[in-house]
Amino acid sequence: MDDKISGRVWGFGDDINTDLMYPHICYTLPEIDRPKYTMWANRPGWASQVNRGDIIVAGRNFGVGSSRPAAANLVGLGIVLVMAETVNGLFMRNAVNSGLPVLRMDGITQWIAEGDIIQVDFQNCTVTREQDGSVREFNRIPDLLMNIVRSGGIIEVLRSQGYIDSEPL
Amino acid sequence: MEPGDIVTVSVDRVILLDIAGQHPELIQNPPARVFDPSKISVVFDHFVPAPNVEMANGTAKIRKLVKRLNLNDFYDYGSGGIAHAFAAESGWFYPGQIVANTDSHSVAAGAFNMLSRGLGTPELMQVMCTGKTWFAVGETLKVDLSGKLSGMSEAKDVFLKMAGDLGDMPNMNIEFAGDGVMALNMDQRTVISTMCAELSVEFAVFPGDEVLRSYVQERGVQEYSPVSPDPSASYAGAYQLDMSEVVPMAALPDSVAGNTRPVDDIQGIKVDQCTIGSCANGKLSDLEVAARILKGRKVHPGTRLIVTPATQSIYLRGMELGYIPTIVKAGAIVTNPTCGSCMGGHMGLLADGETAITSTTRNFKGRMGSRDARIYMASSATVAASAVAGEIVSPSSIPGGS
Repeated sequence: MDDKISGRVWGFGDDINTDLMYPHICYTLPEIDRPKYTMWANRPGWASQVNRGDIIVAGRNFGVGSSRPAAANLVGLGIVLVMAETVNGLFMRNAVNSGLPVLRMDGITQWIAEGDIIQVDFQNCTVTREQDGSVREFNRIPDLLMNIVRSGGIIEVLRSQGYIDSEPL
Repeated sequence: MEPGDIVTVSVDRVILLDIAGQHPELIQNPPARVFDPSKISVVFDHFVPAPNVEMANGTAKIRKLVKRLNLNDFYDYGSGGIAHAFAAESGWFYPGQIVANTDSHSVAAGAFNMLSRGLGTPELMQVMCTGKTWFAVGETLKVDLSGKLSGMSEAKDVFLKMAGDLGDMPNMNIEFAGDGVMALNMDQRTVISTMCAELSVEFAVFPGDEVLRSYVQERGVQEYSPVSPDPSASYAGAYQLDMSEVVPMAALPDSVAGNTRPVDDIQGIKVDQCTIGSCANGKLSDLEVAARILKGRKVHPGTRLIVTPATQSIYLRGMELGYIPTIVKAGAIVTNPTCGSCMGGHMGLLADGETAITSTTRNFKGRMGSRDARIYMASSATVAASAVAGEIVSPSSIPGGS
C-alpha cells in the first residue's frame, strides 16, 4: 500500500452491516464470484460499477454485524479505503487483516459526498478534497494495525513469520 | 491505559468453527503449527449437518486440519452445539478467562465475568499460531439494572429495551451492575451479553457473583479470580433500567440498535414464519416458555414455527422434560442444534416478500433468506405466541402463558 492514495468516493448511510456487504449466498460461491454480491440487498447493481481504487465514505456504525469476511468482498471489488463517522470494531479488525485501511472521522459525511475525489496521506494523516483543496486531519492508525495493512493483511504477516503450511487443505 | 490504546493479551482457549472451512484464506494457507493444541477447541455449529456440497466440502477440510494439527478437543455433528452455549455449559467460561472465537456473538462470554470478542477467521489463525491477540481499550458505559422481570417479559426484552434507548455504541464497552443482576440467572445474562454484539460494543461484562459461582462450580470449575472494577473507575456514562417495568419488546426489520418498540405497538402484523433459536435464545428456558404457550394449542395455519435448540444437551433435556414433544404436537418443526436460519445458512430460509418474527440474534435485510423478506425480532415467548395467533401479538394475550 502507498502512503498516499487518491480515489473516487462512493457514499453510504448509517448502519451498513456485514450481511449487506457479504450476503449468505457468498458462503457457497467460489471466492472470485463473492464480491459481485456486495450490497445486493440495499444497492443492487452497485458492485458492477465499482472501479479499482475507489473509496467508501459512510455514516455511523459501519460494519455492524458478523465476523464474516465482509471487508474481503470490498477488497475484491477494488475498494482501497473505508472512511466512516464510526466503525464497528470487528469490521475494522477484519478490514485491517484483509489489508484494507479504515479511518474514523467525525463529520466526514457532511464534508465528502459521493463522486468527490479525495487524496489521503497516511504519513501526514490528512484527507484532501480535490475540488476545493480543503484538508482535514485524522488520528493516526496505530502502528500495529498499519503494519498489517502494509504487509497486505494478516495472512501475509503469518507467512513472513513461517506459520503458513505450504500445503493447502 | 487510556481509550484508544491497544493491549496484547495471551488467550486461555481458542475456539475454531466449521464455518472456517468456507474461508479460502484458511483453506489455501492453513497454519503449519499452533501454540498449544490442548488449548484449541473445534466446535461445529454453523452448518450442522452440511446443507449442501459446498458446506460439506468446507467442513471436510476442517476435519482434515483437526487431524493434521492434532486438535483433539473436537466436537463434530451430534456432540456439541452452538459454540457460545456449548462453551458455557461445558465449563469453559469462567471469571478472568480470555477466549478467542471467530463468531461475532463471542461477546456472550461477558456474562461469565470474562472477555471474548468476535474475530475474523484469518485473525483467529494468528491466535491459533501465537496464542496472543490484541484488544482496543474503549470507554465504558455502566448499565445499572434494578427490579425483577415481571409478567411475560424476558431477558430478550431487557436487551431490546436497552437497544432502543442506547442505540449503537461502537468501540465502547458495557459493564452491568446493580441489584437487578442477582435476579438474572446465567441463561438470562447470556441472552443480554450475546445480544450486545448488536450495539457494536467490544465487550459486555457482568459481575462475578454467587449466581455465577454456583453455575461454574456445578460444571467443575472451582478455582478462579473474579474481575471487578477499580473503586476509582471512570465511566463514559450510566444507564439505569428497572426490569420490573420492561414490557415485551420487538426490533423492527433491518437493524436492532435504536430500532425497537413495545410489541403492543406492532401487534396484528401477519407473519409467514416464526423462529425460536440461536446462541442467544435456543436455551432450555426458551424451549420451556415455548412449550408452556403451545401446550394444548396449534400453530396457526397461516404461519409456521421452527424451533432450534442451541446444544445437544439442551435438545435432549427438552425431550426428557416433555417440552419438545409439546412443541411438535403443536405443529412446529424442531431441528437439530445449529446456527441454522439465524444467519441464512439452512433450516428454514425466508422467501421473497415474506414476513417473519424471530428470537434469534439479527434482523438485517436479507440475513435469513430473501433480501425482500422482513424480519422482526423478539423474545421466544413473543414468537411462540405470534405462532399461535398467526400475527405479532404480546405473549400476555395468550391465556395460560404466564
